[in-house]
Amino acid sequence: MPVKPEFDVVIVGSGPSGISAAFPLVESGLSVLLVDGGRQATLSPPSHAFLESRRQDADQWKWMIGEGFHALQNRDAVSPKLRVPVHGYVFEGFATVNRIEPQSFVAVGSLAAGGLSNAWGCGVARLSKAEMSAYPFSAADIEGSYRAVAQRMGVSGGQADELSEYFGLDEYSQPPIRMDALHTDLYDRYKKHRLALGKNGFRLGRSRVAVLSRDLNGRKACDLLENCLWGCHRRAMYSAFDELPALQRHGNFHYESGFVVEGIARNENGWLVEGQRGSQERRSVSARKVMLAAGTLATTRLALQTLKLHQPIPLLSCPTAAFLLWLPRLTGFQRTGAFGLGQLSYAVDIKDGISAFGSTFATTGIMVSEFVRHLPMSRRYGIDLLGVLLSSCLVGNVFLPGHLTLAKAALAANGSLTVSGSYSDQVPCLMVEVGKKLRKAYFRMGAVLMPMSFTVGMPGGDIHYAGTLPMRIAPELGETDTFGELHGAEGMYVVDAACLPELSEKSHTLTIMANADRIAHYVANTMKSHT
Amino acid sequence: MRIVITGSTGYIGSHLTDLALQRGFDVVAASRQKPESSAVLWLSYDLSSADAVVLPDDTVAVLHLAANLPHDISISDEQEQFSANKLIKSAQAVGARFIFISSQTANPDAPTAYGRIKWRIEQDVLAAGGWVVRPGQVYGGRERGLFGTLVDTVRRLPVLPAFLPSPNVQPIHVDDLAQCLLSIAVGADTRPRVWCLAASEPVSFTRFLRAIASDRVRRFRLPFPIPVMAIQAMASILGPQWMARIGMARLSSLFDLPVMETASDLQRMGLTLRPLRSGMHRSGNGRRRQLAEEGLSLLTYVLRERPKASVIRHYVRIIEQLRDGVPLGLPTWIIGLPVMLVLLDDRAYAESARGAEFAWRLEAATVLAEATPQGARRFLDRKPGALRALVGMSYPVFAEIFWRALRIPCKPFLWRYMHESWGCQ
Repeated sequence: MPVKPEFDVVIVGSGPSGISAAFPLVESGLSVLLVDGGRQATLSPPSHAFLESRRQDADQWKWMIGEGFHALQNRDAVSPKLRVPVHGYVFEGFATVNRIEPQSFVAVGSLAAGGLSNAWGCGVARLSKAEMSAYPFSAADIEGSYRAVAQRMGVSGGQADELSEYFGLDEYSQPPIRMDALHTDLYDRYKKHRLALGKNGFRLGRSRVAVLSRDLNGRKACDLLENCLWGCHRRAMYSAFDELPALQRHGNFHYESGFVVEGIARNENGWLVEGQRGSQERRSVSARKVMLAAGTLATTRLALQTLKLHQPIPLLSCPTAAFLLWLPRLTGFQRTGAFGLGQLSYAVDIKDGISAFGSTFATTGIMVSEFVRHLPMSRRYGIDLLGVLLSSCLVGNVFLPGHLTLAKAALAANGSLTVSGSYSDQVPCLMVEVGKKLRKAYFRMGAVLMPMSFTVGMPGGDIHYAGTLPMRIAPELGETDTFGELHGAEGMYVVDAACLPELSEKSHTLTIMANADRIAHYVANTMKSHT
Repeated sequence: MRIVITGSTGYIGSHLTDLALQRGFDVVAASRQKPESSAVLWLSYDLSSADAVVLPDDTVAVLHLAANLPHDISISDEQEQFSANKLIKSAQAVGARFIFISSQTANPDAPTAYGRIKWRIEQDVLAAGGWVVRPGQVYGGRERGLFGTLVDTVRRLPVLPAFLPSPNVQPIHVDDLAQCLLSIAVGADTRPRVWCLAASEPVSFTRFLRAIASDRVRRFRLPFPIPVMAIQAMASILGPQWMARIGMARLSSLFDLPVMETASDLQRMGLTLRPLRSGMHRSGNGRRRQLAEEGLSLLTYVLRERPKASVIRHYVRIIEQLRDGVPLGLPTWIIGLPVMLVLLDDRAYAESARGAEFAWRLEAATVLAEATPQGARRFLDRKPGALRALVGMSYPVFAEIFWRALRIPCKPFLWRYMHESWGCQ
């Protein structure tokens, strides 16, 4: 007589995908256990306006550098975000605990409750029908999930502009957050040259972001204090962590924080999820179904380990670049508080159907040192120059579609996951092309893409990993079916970015969440109908 | 354990006595005058006396430091050698080790009588199965002996004598030497031998004096070149008596010091000598103060004004916690004039190991400087206005061009200096 499993579903990971999968399951009455690495914030984000704290707070080094000098210990990390002390807990320990071994590849993940969403750029977008052509289901199948997720998390930036259709979110969106003077100037110029720029395949519009412009579910609207990089004290920026209380109100929802899953084994009527709880205690729970939402890298390792599959599998990741944009007309402009994440976004067609996406940001909230270190000048005069120049500058980023990174993940004999890869041969050429197109487009808007500032990022530096266990209509070993169920492991679902069959240049978090919601609805329905 | 120290009231002897007491030894001070300290037993001992010396039965080692210094002409060289032999016999009588503190100048053909007599005694000690220690240029601690004379000279003279060509010295801190002497006194090594103890890399005498100026006297002293030939000419005119009288005799022995191979002995001893500038500091460990000076310099370079003391403390903590905690050894004129750091703030320099460390610390200083209200003024706030901004942007570009041009001729010297000062701060 088999023992009844403890839970209907165990979800591994409390990031955006785990949380999004949890809602439909819990709401349908199934008993759900959510587990995560359990790391939580130990420092509070600044609560005064960025410029005000910078001018007055004698202890600002504590949140800018950290008492253990976190920022300097992570001096070589790929992004300023990885140096912010408040976010230290988000990234800490991930690779070691989850046994990820990157080889000339940036591998970032999270053991935090709420996952990487605790420190993300909040970019959201919906995939178009064309972009979903490789997906084994139709756009209509995920439509409802996009809506549900977008409304739950709260997105802003919706307005009728050239990117309305590109983002496809305006119907669920709150109004945009106020733009700063630089972006307003740039956007005014864009409107004058909209048609000419459009002919060259360049479109500009407000960034759609998962940041509130109106209060929602206890979170407060953005107040333009410009601490986006350093942590938002109003929780205006979406973090999956903030959705845990809503789930915990359900009696059939169980949450074990600090339970790091190490292995998943099949048992007589489902799965046995085993791991480490805290530093000592071994823990194992049984469930009918398992959903992997540990983030692409950790999920991939758990899935390959369950399948005992050691051959390398492809990993998608967006090639990235960054640049500095100067608005000469605003030279000598005095800094004011502004929204610190993407304010304007662009989409630009490059060639052969490949397009790039990116956003521009105010520079004030970022340390000037981050720019000085890249300037081919001595420190002293570099600071002199940038102290004046940066107030009339914006920073921009570039994302290319994920198939342009040729990366592989493989389960090593010792059970760790090696991740390696480089950009495809096309990328250098495409990046040159993007640089040219952006330089031209922005020049038309009266902005100068600064010479030598266009810098291509390290492979993996996008932290948009996906597609290791892609959904297929007819999946083979190492692939998943239309509903993310791992081929050869019945009842094990992959609900994070690992199951996306394709990774576009757009921000993919909302799609991951919507897909998790879609899968969870399906699983909830089938499980209910069985009982 | 009982040890007997002759010359215990002298420069090295007093430091050795302190350390031995601190380490729990029973110290017998063998000297002419009764020591003030009641912590040690006194044994009357005079180089000029013909009386036999009777040592306590439980003596394990005799450390013979007494020397005829300052030179007393009433004591002949033969008497000094005779006195040493007498002491060797006394040591043998109680089965104690005999350790003779000689000199780097010890040589049968040494230009000074001092060097020759040391060599002769060495031969006797080795023949009797004892140990010989040849220290290099002893410095640090109390301002006595030759070290005391040099400090006094630097303090009094308005300029720093820079001999051309500069002789080299191999420094050793007096406390490091004392530690070695105690190790030899009770060590497991039973084979008689000569220990050469000093920094393995010689430093120029000018640099040694400069360290005295910057880290002991703490005054800026402009180097004043003095050709060695001029001194030699003076010596041949005045004669040895006069040279001795004006204190130049010991100095002239510096000019033809043989380089001692010390690396293997230091390794055998398991001792890392403290860096020169660190040991030169009154506390015997000026590392922290130098790090603070370095931080002050880097932060001032970045901020264009003096940073708050707390920021300097953070800098020191960063270098101690995240790096090796060893000061870079920036030259004093750069410490005093931080704008000069621009000469080292160069991508090409950052390619070298030393340069990479410098670049790391400059980056740390930049980040630290920025994360302060002072930094906000410097990095963020500028008076508004386009014209002002244009001027503000052109100035640094011209300044950069100017310094880059200046960097070209300075580069070879400065890089070499930084390379040499590595580890001998």
